[in-house]
Amino acid sequence: MTDININVHQVTRVEGHGNIVVSAKDGKIEELRWEVPESPRFFEAMLRGRHYDDVPFIASRICGICSIAHTTASIKATEAAFGFQPSEQTLLLRKLLYNAETLESHVLHALFLAAPDFLGVGSVFPLVETHKDVVVMALRLKMLAYNLAEALAGRKTHPISCKVGGFAKLPELSELEALRGRLENALVDLDTTVELFKTLSPSIPDFTRETEYIALTDPKEYAFISGQIGSTDAGVAPLDKYLDVTNEFCVPHSTAKYTKNKRDSYMVGALSRFNNNHEQLLPRAKKAAQELGLSAPSHNPFMITVAQVVESVHAAEDSINIIDKILARGLEEEDNQVKVRAGRGIGAVEAPRGILFHDYTYDDKGILTKANCIIPTNQNHNSIQKDMDALVPLILSRPQDEIRLTLEMLVRAYDPCISCSAHFLTVSFK
Amino acid sequence: MPENRVLIVDDEAIVRESIRDWLEDAGYPVATAESGEEALDLIGRQDFSVMVLDIRLPGKTGIMVLKEVKSQRPWIKSIIITAYPSEETTMEAKQLGAIDYLIKPIAPDDLEKLIRETLDSLGREPTVTTEAEIGVRPPAVKAVEVRKSLVISKNDLKSMVESLAKEMEVVGVKSRQGKYVYDRISSFSELCLDHDVTIMSPTKYFLPAKETLLKFKVGDESGVKPVTEASGRAIVGMHPYDIKAIELLDEAFITANPDPNYIARRQNTIIIGVDCLNPSPKSFAPSMGTHQAETGFDLLLTDIGADYMVTVGSERGASLLAGHTQAREPSGDEVARQKAVRDRALTMYQISLSVPRERLPKLLEDSYDDPYWETRSATCLSCGSCVMVCPTCFCFDVQDDMALNLKEGERLRRWDGCMLVDFARVATGENFRHDKASRFRHRIYRKGKYVIERYGRVGCVGCGRCATACLAEIASPAEAFNAIAESVGIKEAAARLIREVTPDSELYTPRPAELVQVNQLTQTEKVFEFKLKDGKKLGQRPGQFVEVSIMGVGEAPISICSSPTRNGTFHLAVRRVGDVTAALHNLEQGATIGIRGPFGNGFPLDTLQGKDILFVAGGIGLFPLRSLIQYVLDNRSSFGKVNLLFGARSPAERVFVDELALWNQRPDLEFQETVDRGDETWQGNVGVITTLIPKVDLDPRKTMAVVVGPPIMYRFVIVELKKKELSDENIIMSLERRMKCGVGKCGHCQINGVYVCQEGPVFTLAQLRNLREAI
Amino acid sequence: MKPKVAFFDFTGCEGCQLDALHLDAGEVIDLLNAVDIVNFREVMTERSDDYDIAFIEGSITRESEITRLKKIRDQAKIVVAFGACACIGGVNCLKNHLPMEEALKIVYGEDARYYDTIPARPADAVVKVDYCVRGCPPVTSELLKVIKALLLGKKPDIPNHPVCVECKMAGNVCVFERGMTCLGPVTRAGCDAVCINSGRHCWGCRGLVDDPNVDSEKEVLQKYGLTVEQVVEKFKIFNTYAEVAK
Repeated sequence: MTDININVHQVTRVEGHGNIVVSAKDGKIEELRWEVPESPRFFEAMLRGRHYDDVPFIASRICGICSIAHTTASIKATEAAFGFQPSEQTLLLRKLLYNAETLESHVLHALFLAAPDFLGVGSVFPLVETHKDVVVMALRLKMLAYNLAEALAGRKTHPISCKVGGFAKLPELSELEALRGRLENALVDLDTTVELFKTLSPSIPDFTRETEYIALTDPKEYAFISGQIGSTDAGVAPLDKYLDVTNEFCVPHSTAKYTKNKRDSYMVGALSRFNNNHEQLLPRAKKAAQELGLSAPSHNPFMITVAQVVESVHAAEDSINIIDKILARGLEEEDNQVKVRAGRGIGAVEAPRGILFHDYTYDDKGILTKANCIIPTNQNHNSIQKDMDALVPLILSRPQDEIRLTLEMLVRAYDPCISCSAHFLTVSFK
Repeated sequence: MPENRVLIVDDEAIVRESIRDWLEDAGYPVATAESGEEALDLIGRQDFSVMVLDIRLPGKTGIMVLKEVKSQRPWIKSIIITAYPSEETTMEAKQLGAIDYLIKPIAPDDLEKLIRETLDSLGREPTVTTEAEIGVRPPAVKAVEVRKSLVISKNDLKSMVESLAKEMEVVGVKSRQGKYVYDRISSFSELCLDHDVTIMSPTKYFLPAKETLLKFKVGDESGVKPVTEASGRAIVGMHPYDIKAIELLDEAFITANPDPNYIARRQNTIIIGVDCLNPSPKSFAPSMGTHQAETGFDLLLTDIGADYMVTVGSERGASLLAGHTQAREPSGDEVARQKAVRDRALTMYQISLSVPRERLPKLLEDSYDDPYWETRSATCLSCGSCVMVCPTCFCFDVQDDMALNLKEGERLRRWDGCMLVDFARVATGENFRHDKASRFRHRIYRKGKYVIERYGRVGCVGCGRCATACLAEIASPAEAFNAIAESVGIKEAAARLIREVTPDSELYTPRPAELVQVNQLTQTEKVFEFKLKDGKKLGQRPGQFVEVSIMGVGEAPISICSSPTRNGTFHLAVRRVGDVTAALHNLEQGATIGIRGPFGNGFPLDTLQGKDILFVAGGIGLFPLRSLIQYVLDNRSSFGKVNLLFGARSPAERVFVDELALWNQRPDLEFQETVDRGDETWQGNVGVITTLIPKVDLDPRKTMAVVVGPPIMYRFVIVELKKKELSDENIIMSLERRMKCGVGKCGHCQINGVYVCQEGPVFTLAQLRNLREAI
Repeated sequence: MKPKVAFFDFTGCEGCQLDALHLDAGEVIDLLNAVDIVNFREVMTERSDDYDIAFIEGSITRESEITRLKKIRDQAKIVVAFGACACIGGVNCLKNHLPMEEALKIVYGEDARYYDTIPARPADAVVKVDYCVRGCPPVTSELLKVIKALLLGKKPDIPNHPVCVECKMAGNVCVFERGMTCLGPVTRAGCDAVCINSGRHCWGCRGLVDDPNVDSEKEVLQKYGLTVEQVVEKFKIFNTYAEVAK
């Protein structure tokens, strides 16, 4: 066998900076690393000493793609610390806003970041010539998701109206009605997307590695912003036990921390959610899963993207249901005064890429004194490494370029959000 | 408003001439046209109030003429005459806004009466011609007269407002987060007619914060089209101070250089005002004479408890009442009640001026150097809140927005304000009001002096909005006026200098001009020869300027540097300094640009006749001066001795060198030039231009000096000229400021109370002595 | 010849780059007709070192980033700072207040390379920046405005006045009158006051105007009930680097 020397510096079409290093001599693997050299951003330093009203606003800036996830987790952690219960109206609006991000993030990943690999091109730009309809459709879906978020929170990236206690401004019912119409059209577009991925499925590498799958789980619905910690190995754990589940540790070649629970590593994200909660998917989403040949449990990380397509259908369907509920009950200005008290709270949400924890401690003036976050991609770095460890020996005889592309596709499948994952360092001051 | 001129359009001479004779006997100025084309041409060159139009015309039909007149001159009232009436043409004419329809043969009395009624209803209240009104005579039950006061019930008002809402957008005062705002109302119950003051004034409905003036295409399908909005609207709840503010805007936007966008909106807006019975604590309207209004509205309501007293302000208001309410005569009690509530409101104002407002202009005149401006403005955030909420503020900026395909775009107008830092900054970076104190002072002077002197109407209506909006709490003009009210020794105010200019609905639309030739003058300057594509002459006076448009990039003011006595083309000499000038410099022969103008007053040719002339040109000051120099040389016998002094910074920066050589050779002209610093080849004078002046032999009683150069040059040249005993009236200068609209509206070129684009750019030193910001 | 455009990301959340694609299909096609995108790591695999216009997202927080940015400046004719982190430092600068960076190096010994970090700073603290597209995130139309201006050879029409102008144009009730405080009076407009339109206040993410009256703004904030410390904290979130947060 020829020698292998792969050094992918800053994988493209992923958020953040990650490197793939593989070297082999005479069929023997010498180096095989997934490296995360991302700049640490010290978010704990940014949040300490901040007033609770500013905390979600700053926490949003952890990530531009999942800013709604971070904002929501931050708000939940703060409300939990103060013992505040949001109103039913607030919860409906939050879920709707959340669906906008799930939809946008998954569409962006599936069609703009992952699909080019399956269609043999380097990016979505050449597809404007060859697959114009698909690109137009993808942009249309993205725009709808943005507009839905804008109607609820003023802006999708770093949302504005959502704050601790509720929403600073309510959407117009007429706007929601119009968006509902567009969501109906989106379901048709998503059907087209499902068809497209059906044609691409022969190109999906057939690789499986069984591992532990962790996701939020809620008996009432397919969980995104509610519930407790579910695991395919271990059953359900309450949120305040999250540290026992995640067990962060340091690794020499990464500025991000890694995690493990019952096994050497575990996976979070769309596939984990699917494996834990697939029964609770809404009807159209379930049908999409069937069409795409996705059934639980699925142990092929390359199917994460497929699970994201299924969740997109679910998000659109769920949004229509929520809008119908809101239109029926109407919207009312609420006096969402929050009473500040000293305390600690944990907010957990399912970001598009997986389970996200924000853990805050406040003093009696509402000033944050301590914060800890566990980012979904943190939790996937170890899984990526273990997948590479299992996959590379199986493809070592292939041409180097093919190995490289397959490993890049593996990383891309996880839809990693690397710059968020390297944000955090637990700092104690002596 | 235009004089009551009538235009008669008929292809039959006997009809034309007989109607003309009748109307002239009745005292109206009349013009005639025998075809549609001739009529449109006349309308383009003169203004008319009424047009009598035959439907059957050769060439362009009466209906086509009516259509074009409606879009270009929406304020002209049209009366259709025809020998062949048909329902079809009647409907079409009505839809196009014709006032009435007379069948030939026409009785002179009928026509004259109709014209009289039409003209009487003009004046300051524009009428909107909606379909519903044409041909509808008020019910015979009651003839409602203008300026009469009647009583209507609250239900009456409700039904009137709700009817209006079926035909047009109705905006009114409603509450938002504990304050009051003007916004579209969807039901009568949203109206808060007892409000104290709104955050933003209704001026935004006549001059919106952002609007499109022009749409353009560039490249192969290039073209420019003006855009005006013509949808109808009713405003309910306007207080008298806001009504007075609109009367001021009428002066600014209609009287000189009528603005088609403003006029279209003004025509199509119904104003239903409301007496302010619950004044804001920051309001001082009575001190400004704006707490009550007699004109400027269609209807004005006073809440007298159970009902409303309503004053009729226009024909349109009268027909609104007649058509939708059971208006009745007021009882003696009700009249007394109206007076009582108004008097009571008067006692509720908490702020007043300590001097009568008539004294403000003179008071301010004397206080230009008062340290108050500096100290008071120290905390100013230059945030612009005061100008944004002000009903009498109307300065604006104009910017081009190109589409991403770079093929088409829009020229947009949006609010600007003299309190914002960059308002008076020009492309070279110089800012003529760069400090807070000078901007603060300018605003107060606008409110208390410049506006009333220029337009005859108060510049501040005392609504109190700025005082509420200002976070630094320094904005109230009442406080400023009272603070400097101890002044004495009043000088005469500067005379109003508004020029009457032919009205033009293409006010902001550039005309295409083709680049005939380009020559490089120096490293940074080129001279361009243009001709208007329609073959007409530009018709400039020496010293005027044009606004040059490169669609998508923008518009910039450039002096015309050639005399009208030369060719059918005109020259623009341009230094490359900003976006538009850079784009100009990249043009090649044959390229097309847009031209508006000529603007400005130009050099005073009449005063210069027969005099000796001393030209003093500093650097590119030669550009505007060249137009006058050429003119003088082309009419040499009309002038006395001519001296020409030219100074450049260095030999490489000398401009028009061939022409300089020609002038040097002429026996009938004394030419001297100098450079600030020479080089190895330079044989001539070295030194600043002031060094040339003492050498000139002139008779101060017969000589006029015309000076143009960089701002810094003026002060020193004036010193030398005064040593030559030239009087202030005989020293003429051309000044530069930031110019945008060219028609005295956007506000950027103001020097104290004058607009450089209107009263300038040419000024005598005598005039400038009264303009402290000038040099 | 279409200009070649490249996007580079440093230390940031990549939200700016994501929003650069917040376009409808027509705009994407017009954009690709107007410029050649040769480098955009988040979205395309191809990379190129031959570009005319470089968009820089994120602030500089490591030595290696300084080197990388300088190389980009050498290559590009035009450098545009894109987003608050690149323009004014952004929220990354909050960590600059961390008191014991040196101490951490000592405490964590060989793991100190995890802390390969210098005080965060905007791009123009390292290289000359030609234009800024401000905001956290920036408004996509302002990015397009800058691109269009570069194509037309003119200066982009970016306001130099405070947010108050746009807030009043939008018809908002001033937040100071509703029990909140706001940095709008010293923050550069161009966002159409989106945060106030959405029911909150201005946090100053677009940075200060050229000549802000910060003293007056601080006085106003104190007049409306904030202590001196609270005022400073308010400015810190985005404007730490501008030194007004003192």
